[in-house]
Amino acid sequence: MVVERDVRILFSDSFLVGIMFANFAIDLFVTAATFGRLIPGGDYFLYIAPGSNFITASVAAFQSGRDVWREKHIKDLTSYLLSLPAPRPVFAFSRIMGGVVRSLIATFPGTLVIAYLYGILLGPEVLAAFMIVGLFSLGIVGLSITAASFVSSIEMFVTVRSAIQLYLSFLSTLFYPVAVFPPALTFLVSSNPMTWAVESFRSLPQSHGLVGPVSVLVAPSLAFAALGTLCYLWYAKL
Amino acid sequence: MSSSATQVNVSNNVTAPSGALMAPIVQMAIRDISVLFRTPWIIISRSLAFVIQLFVFAALISKLVNVTGLDFFQYYAVGSVVGTIASISFIIGYDIFEEAEEGVLDYLLTLPVSRRQFIIGRALGGAVRAMIYVIPMFVIVAVLENFSNPLSIAGALLDLFLLAFGITGLSITVAVSVRNANRFDVVLALIELAIARASTALYPIAFMPSYVAALAPFSPVSFAADSTRAALIGASLDLVSLAGLVAFVVIFLGLGAAFYFRRVEGGVYA
Repeated sequence: MVVERDVRILFSDSFLVGIMFANFAIDLFVTAATFGRLIPGGDYFLYIAPGSNFITASVAAFQSGRDVWREKHIKDLTSYLLSLPAPRPVFAFSRIMGGVVRSLIATFPGTLVIAYLYGILLGPEVLAAFMIVGLFSLGIVGLSITAASFVSSIEMFVTVRSAIQLYLSFLSTLFYPVAVFPPALTFLVSSNPMTWAVESFRSLPQSHGLVGPVSVLVAPSLAFAALGTLCYLWYAKL
Repeated sequence: MSSSATQVNVSNNVTAPSGALMAPIVQMAIRDISVLFRTPWIIISRSLAFVIQLFVFAALISKLVNVTGLDFFQYYAVGSVVGTIASISFIIGYDIFEEAEEGVLDYLLTLPVSRRQFIIGRALGGAVRAMIYVIPMFVIVAVLENFSNPLSIAGALLDLFLLAFGITGLSITVAVSVRNANRFDVVLALIELAIARASTALYPIAFMPSYVAALAPFSPVSFAADSTRAALIGASLDLVSLAGLVAFVVIFLGLGAAFYFRRVEGGVYA
């Protein structure tokens, strides 16, 4: 019920879902396509294509934190939420899962497009592709709700969101291999969830099983989700 | 409404001294400038984005780009200043939307300022504050790339100002056309993304896919980026791009004003 409510909030303005896909399309068919022609050797377009979808996933996932912040500071829904007949940890984790489902819905067409580009659309790897997007979203929803719990103004939330998105986009292997980074930055790059997600996705066509590429994201995503759940419980005083 | 009728009379008083007409415009502009600098989070996030784009993304991606005759870092550095001023100019739309939601617009409309002065002041404030904000970044790029010709720098700053002025008008147009808060956020972000990405700010037109290359020359960000590069790198004037920028300013200031008046006065333009 809680997950369904969050999904309904997303679809209360279906225009938003369309705009998110438009953002993805611009990232992929304008920016990635142009850099693909600009950078010689190999297929750079395919290299950065999964990143466009993960950027969309992170934007959709961050909407959850924004909604949580608005519920407390703008809509004053805390009393209503406290009255719901659900165990509070279950309720809090359901909010996280609601964010993951929303993100999966927002990235559904994008994941299919990238799976098609990678030639895995009709194979079992497409399931792993959705699992990778889902696990990545789980971690980012957790992070976004954690951020929403500690900021006092929407401007501060937007700033934190921008900082995290800059880290995810530019200090990861989304655009370039880890070898081009100065040694001082390689730790930051290697410990970036975006690096794990894009590398997992890129490995799908060559992988011999689905577990390997997906498994790298499980522990960190669950850790971020647990953090988000705890922060939400504390924040909403549930 | 009586107050707006009074303002209509004031704005139509062509015999008023120009200083008296300018003062309210300057007041409105100063207010918008101080509003931006009272919200440091916005400045911090945009500055962080610029620094990471320039010193991480541009520096690293330049190692991968290998095109004869193209200094991609220099190309991207100038383009990122243009992209940043476009981005910061959009913020005026968020301010106006928020004012309407919070009821501050009603207060602003009671001020002894004609509607025409009000809209020009807001657009000017949006553009000037974007310039103030972007000048330190411009200086960083000028020092890094050794741009020192005063005429070139003046030409480049003019291009940036025109872009900021036009985008302010565009942002106001969107702010007063879209009523839903979530939808407004996303629409403005999408327009920002579209006009910046489908432009020559970040990559040369020769490398764009044909469907983007057909549109990119008409992006206001392309006009500004081409004209700024012509001034700084070629020490010349790109008259076509400059004319495009001026047209963009005229069209969107006019549209912004018309939509704003339509929203607050139910269609009465003064």
